[in-house]
Amino acid sequence: MPVDEIKPTRSGLLIVRRRMALAERIHRLLKMKLDGMMLELVRLTDQAARERKELEEKYAHAREMAAVATMMEGATGVLLAALSVEAVPTYTTGHKNVFGVHLPDLEPVMVKKTLIQRGYGILGTSSVIDDAADAYEDLISAIIASAELEGGITRLLDDIERTRRRVNALEFKVIPELTDLRRLIEYQRDEMERQDAVRLRRIKKIKAKRRW
Amino acid sequence: MTLPGLIAPSCVYACTRFRVRRTKLLSREDYRRIMQMSIPGVVAHLGRQEDYRDIINLAASFSGARLVEEAVNRSLARSFRHAMMIARGDMHTLAGEYLTRWDITNVMAILRGTVFDVPRQQVRDLLVPAGELDTTLLDHLLGLTTCGEALEALQDWRLYPVLEEYYRICGERGVFARIENELYMNYYAGLLGLVASGCSGCRELIAYLRFEIDITNMKNLLRLRCGEEACDITTIDQTMIPGGRIPIDLFRRLYSTGTEEEFTSTFLQTDIAPVLARAVRELRQDPGFSSEDAAELVWQRWHQHLRPVHEIEMAITRTRLRELEALSRRHPFSVLTMIAYLERKRYEVANLRAIARGKAFGLPPGRIWQYIVL
Repeated sequence: MPVDEIKPTRSGLLIVRRRMALAERIHRLLKMKLDGMMLELVRLTDQAARERKELEEKYAHAREMAAVATMMEGATGVLLAALSVEAVPTYTTGHKNVFGVHLPDLEPVMVKKTLIQRGYGILGTSSVIDDAADAYEDLISAIIASAELEGGITRLLDDIERTRRRVNALEFKVIPELTDLRRLIEYQRDEMERQDAVRLRRIKKIKAKRRW
Repeated sequence: MTLPGLIAPSCVYACTRFRVRRTKLLSREDYRRIMQMSIPGVVAHLGRQEDYRDIINLAASFSGARLVEEAVNRSLARSFRHAMMIARGDMHTLAGEYLTRWDITNVMAILRGTVFDVPRQQVRDLLVPAGELDTTLLDHLLGLTTCGEALEALQDWRLYPVLEEYYRICGERGVFARIENELYMNYYAGLLGLVASGCSGCRELIAYLRFEIDITNMKNLLRLRCGEEACDITTIDQTMIPGGRIPIDLFRRLYSTGTEEEFTSTFLQTDIAPVLARAVRELRQDPGFSSEDAAELVWQRWHQHLRPVHEIEMAITRTRLRELEALSRRHPFSVLTMIAYLERKRYEVANLRAIARGKAFGLPPGRIWQYIVL
């Protein structure tokens, strides 16, 4: 029943009181969820910053390894080794639940490989190719870990924004409106009570006059 | 016909040609000058050299370090084909056998490109026709659509028997690595077999090749050890090249050793330790570095599951190449002269490529210099 249609009656008052209790409970819970999500966000942000820094270091290392590999084996040698890759590195997607928010959970698949799994012949390549492959595998793992964290932060931020809007709506609109309505109904009911009392006194007086 | 004990005139002629060609290769001073240049400077400098003159024509299609790499690869292919033309008789056969390593690379690139559906032009750019398989055959192979067709077209190749075994399973996961490893094993077996048949300088060449096999096996053992999952004995058997001075059993023993004493004592039994010690002495300018220190260094890498240090690998290559040159000077009219030239040319190309790539990546000259083989 919309707020406007609630009549200033006892049942109306009960409805408003019930709704207010519910709104206050939701407000309290959402506020707790918001605080929890903020703590999780801070934790994730710290972790993401660390991961990003690590990612940058791994990127620089991978570039250096690629440079050394290209110097020693030539672009031809490196590309031939790259051509040998038989299992393309990928990831599986899942989700984990944090305060009701679905955060992405990415699992690397065939990213870290053994020397045998890489597909190139050991006798046709040198250890510099292994180093470059290792460095790029580490980089891909770091990219996946970073993407998972940053994706989680984006989702969490969206949800924090939505929850904050709900908390604000409850705090500054729904609860004040219900408080006002309750007060109005109580005033109106008091007024009606007073009118009834006056009316009864008046009728009593008229009856007493007629009796004389 | 040449009388026993006499050197054939064709051999003298070929060796003289190789020695002349050797003198035309870049010197230490040339490298020092090139190191001071920018990439366009290197291109202009190479354009003035006889061997790299067509770099100017390639400039329309490539640029930067890629241009240098393309030009040096073409120069390598041209020089090696020219070397095949100069060499006659047994020397020609040996040159063909020796250059098969380039054919292996080309064939593997084509097979992989065919199976993984890589654009033909991309594969063509990776080929260096420095072996016996000429450009016409390689182009024909590139035009084929299935692995089976490519294998059939290679029936006349000297390593075809290896490919034949994999005809049915060509393209399956892990097969290419196995084929590649077997091709290299057969390459070394063929080369050792040919050299063992006897020729001037062959005894020394066998020793050089056997040491190359030992070094390759040791490096690969460290690589296998470094892998995340420990490899089993089967993998060691599949990746160790037979024919070296060090028996495969010793590598197996090394792989299973757990203590430093056991490892270093086994390692000191090999010929690698003194060469490694000499290479590190030169690299670090440390005259006190002994074979025991070398064994200790390898143990540290082994124990920590680390791969060989690239700079030390390069230093060993330098030492080996210097020994080969000394041998070729001692036997001037032998196959050693040809092999020394081919090896020098190979490393000249590698040096120029390293300089161009190093400069393109912005590495300091000191760092690039460590990868130069002189």
